[in-house]
Amino acid sequence: MSETMRPTPEAERLHRELEAVWGNPPGWRGRLSVVNHSTLGLRFMATGLVFFLLGGVLAMLIRTQLALPDQAFMSPEIYAQVTTMHGTVMMFLFAIPMLEGLAIYLIPKMIGTRDLVCPRLTAFGYWCYLFGGIILFSSLLLEMAPDSGWFMYTPLSSSEFAPGPGSDFWLLGITFVEISALAAGVEITVSILRTRAPGMALHRMPLFAWYILAMALMIVVGFPPLILGSVLLELERAAGMPFFTVAGGGDPILWQHLFWLFGHPEVYIIFLPAAGIVSTLIPVFAGRPIVGYGWVVAAIVITGFISFGLWVHHMFAVGIPQLAQAFFSAASMLVAVPTAIQVFVWLATLWLGKPRMTVPMLWVTGFLVIFVCGGLTGVMLALVPFNWQVHDTHFVVAHLHYVLVGGMFFPLVAGAYYWLPLVTGRMPSERLGRLGFWLTFLGFNLTFLIMHWTGLLGMPRRVYTYDSAMGWDLVNLISSLGGFMMAAGIAAVLVDLVLHGRYGRTAPRNPWGADTLEWSLSMPPASYNFASLPRVESRHPLWETPTLGDAIARGEGVRPGAAHGRRELLGGEALTGRVRELIHLPGNSLLPLYAALCLAVVCVSLLIRLYPLSLLGLAGAGVLLLRWSWENGGHRRAAPLGHDEPEDPPLHSRTADGPGRWTMEVALLADGAFFLALLFGWFYLWTVSPQWQMPARSPLSLLLLLASGAALTLGALWLERRVAALIRGREAGLVLALGGIAALGGLHVALLVVVLLDAGLAPTATAHDATLLVGLAYLLGHGGLAALLAALQAWRAGLGLVGARLPFEPGVVALLWRYQLGAYWILVAAMALLPRLTGGGP
Amino acid sequence: MNPLRRWLAPSHPAQLLLGLTLWSLWFVALYGGLSVACELAPPAPGQGVLTAINGALALLTLATLGLLGWLAWRGLRAGRGGVGGSRFIALTGAGLHLFSAAGVAFVGLPILALPPCL
Repeated sequence: MSETMRPTPEAERLHRELEAVWGNPPGWRGRLSVVNHSTLGLRFMATGLVFFLLGGVLAMLIRTQLALPDQAFMSPEIYAQVTTMHGTVMMFLFAIPMLEGLAIYLIPKMIGTRDLVCPRLTAFGYWCYLFGGIILFSSLLLEMAPDSGWFMYTPLSSSEFAPGPGSDFWLLGITFVEISALAAGVEITVSILRTRAPGMALHRMPLFAWYILAMALMIVVGFPPLILGSVLLELERAAGMPFFTVAGGGDPILWQHLFWLFGHPEVYIIFLPAAGIVSTLIPVFAGRPIVGYGWVVAAIVITGFISFGLWVHHMFAVGIPQLAQAFFSAASMLVAVPTAIQVFVWLATLWLGKPRMTVPMLWVTGFLVIFVCGGLTGVMLALVPFNWQVHDTHFVVAHLHYVLVGGMFFPLVAGAYYWLPLVTGRMPSERLGRLGFWLTFLGFNLTFLIMHWTGLLGMPRRVYTYDSAMGWDLVNLISSLGGFMMAAGIAAVLVDLVLHGRYGRTAPRNPWGADTLEWSLSMPPASYNFASLPRVESRHPLWETPTLGDAIARGEGVRPGAAHGRRELLGGEALTGRVRELIHLPGNSLLPLYAALCLAVVCVSLLIRLYPLSLLGLAGAGVLLLRWSWENGGHRRAAPLGHDEPEDPPLHSRTADGPGRWTMEVALLADGAFFLALLFGWFYLWTVSPQWQMPARSPLSLLLLLASGAALTLGALWLERRVAALIRGREAGLVLALGGIAALGGLHVALLVVVLLDAGLAPTATAHDATLLVGLAYLLGHGGLAALLAALQAWRAGLGLVGARLPFEPGVVALLWRYQLGAYWILVAAMALLPRLTGGGP
Repeated sequence: MNPLRRWLAPSHPAQLLLGLTLWSLWFVALYGGLSVACELAPPAPGQGVLTAINGALALLTLATLGLLGWLAWRGLRAGRGGVGGSRFIALTGAGLHLFSAAGVAFVGLPILALPPCL
């Protein structure tokens, strides 16, 4: 416990009890098995910081190269690799994981719970991020890095123009890292909706949690289109399926659509959590509640939606009709409205409060200045004629850095200075913090304000050098000097970050006078966060009850201690926060690490084209993930049935609507986004691709598809009936029924395999056949998983792990069956029925 | 109350998403419909704005505006009579419906000014 607390004997007893259940195991093996959100959140952030420094070094190399004209510091090939990797590392390996790490660390503490709802998924996500990042970055050390730009436009990234393994490193590494982002997105969403402190209704939730909820849902919906694009491009590169090759009926513009369907929301995925930091800090340092809480919530929701309607503004130069350009131009201006709402809310809060200009506030002020400027150049770029004028120039580079560095990095450092005392129990240095801020702020503006000029003078992006006669010498030199000044500022912050843990003065309790629950904890917080769980009746619990932390530590809150020996959270209603069940969590395990290692084997073996090994790795990951899911519900390592079961509230595995159900629903939302992107790809190529070749007769047998669909439909309906009966307490014949359902699933898959074999597809010859193959593979994968899970449920029912007292799991599996049912018939209609009805052809 | 009616009630959290979901569906229909129509049956360039495509898109826009306006009015009415969480959801939902309606009107304006497929 921290020295800032005054522990009573009761508090010490609770601490010992909880630490025995929640504590991290010792030793290397123990450290690798940790699933605690605080530890993993810090690991995410520390790893993100390393990648940030690597990406920063790449930025300095770029500025060194461009400082003077006609330099040969880097060859054109290396320069292309360095710029590609700088963008890739900063966007995928720093910005997103860093903010996820912050959310993973903070969210349970802010919403008054002990951990995230899927702790092993957190660990799995971390290992996927680490291994994916290492694989991707190793390409630079091997001088095989991708060199087609961080957006990997085809055909520049296709085999013809990028024959080396660089593009493969990008596609496989980024997909691996995105598994991590999706895992975090799913579990953060469910955690915020279902595990808030008793009484924390939606309208009392901290604004930071609203921002993170929006970010998580945007990851869930926004990342799958890029995953699909990466899969298709890798299939084109490795197997010759011509999705993006015009001669084969594909279209390179499809890649741009899939990339920017992800890429534009990505900007807001990065901005929203940072804005969440600002909305958290400003009220604290203004000493008053935020003005217009409801307005901010509305602005967050608006941003989350509208940001998905802007992607084509990155493609104004590809030649789409003016009317369509006008739609996207208007939508791009529209997104400025929610941002402006937030800016005015922040200004009004400062205006009406008594602001204290602390180091975190200094960084927030820097954010306000830089981000507003970046937003204004964004509105300029939304105008099509101006966009054409500065397209592909340094003006765009300057704009995006104003938005991303101003909109994400400055708030991040503000947040770091604000929450460091919570993490370490010590205060950072005021002097170093201010020095770091001014060097960074001035250096940044020197670099990028000037770069707007460079762009307006016509200097294109991604050229490795320039001629002195172009007149770009001075502006580039100033930008480079500014870049190094900014690097010095960041170095000062880093020095503070490293040294304050040892030399900083001990932080007093709640040093900034904050209102949110994380400041009621000991500093640094214990592994279980809260010795007893707080009851929340206000948006500002610590302003209402400054001594809340002491009461919680003494066990005066809800569900104190852990005498039962389980890791438990309170599960509540999404809207009201009213307690519904006790969620029991799995403990530390090496399974997430091993599963991620297997996926790393898949990734590396695909890179070196050792396909049998990749299949082996995939099978290994599948077995490990299923083993992980086996230790669940009533399993002896989870929460076996007993005589002294808690009943009010019950354990979640004894109900029909635990968090696993919500997790499955949110995961299927991501799956649905992938599926919709696939459907979009199919219809896009069909209608737009200049050389699309639709055969006169669909190669897919309608009769076999109907038979396969009938087996699936019967199985799904049967499963729904059994789930309903189980909830009513009827379990007779459950094993046989689940076995029968699994058999129907098996029949569905077997018939689908026959459809595939019967079709005689030529996926390397036409994009049409290649897309059909991907569609069928998608259905086969999901059908196989649905059948397998039903079979495992039958087995578990036989062992007494599923039944009337443990009715939870079949309902979760039924969701997958329901999803497969919908996806199957939609795909049959789109790929087999519609071409028959329209007679094919473009 | 059956689940659908519950979801559609002005105080249900789904109202925070409904208006902008309708905006998104309208936007996809607008862009997708325009793209497909221009591929399948582009009007003669000389026709200007007075085309069947512009007409269909304008009708869709008006219908969406009407629906969003009605949802916003319903939310405002429920919010005035509500308390606590219900009031918060109903009023915030109404604001989001209003914004969505404004978004439909603003993004839809070019339909009145630009020919569809040039």
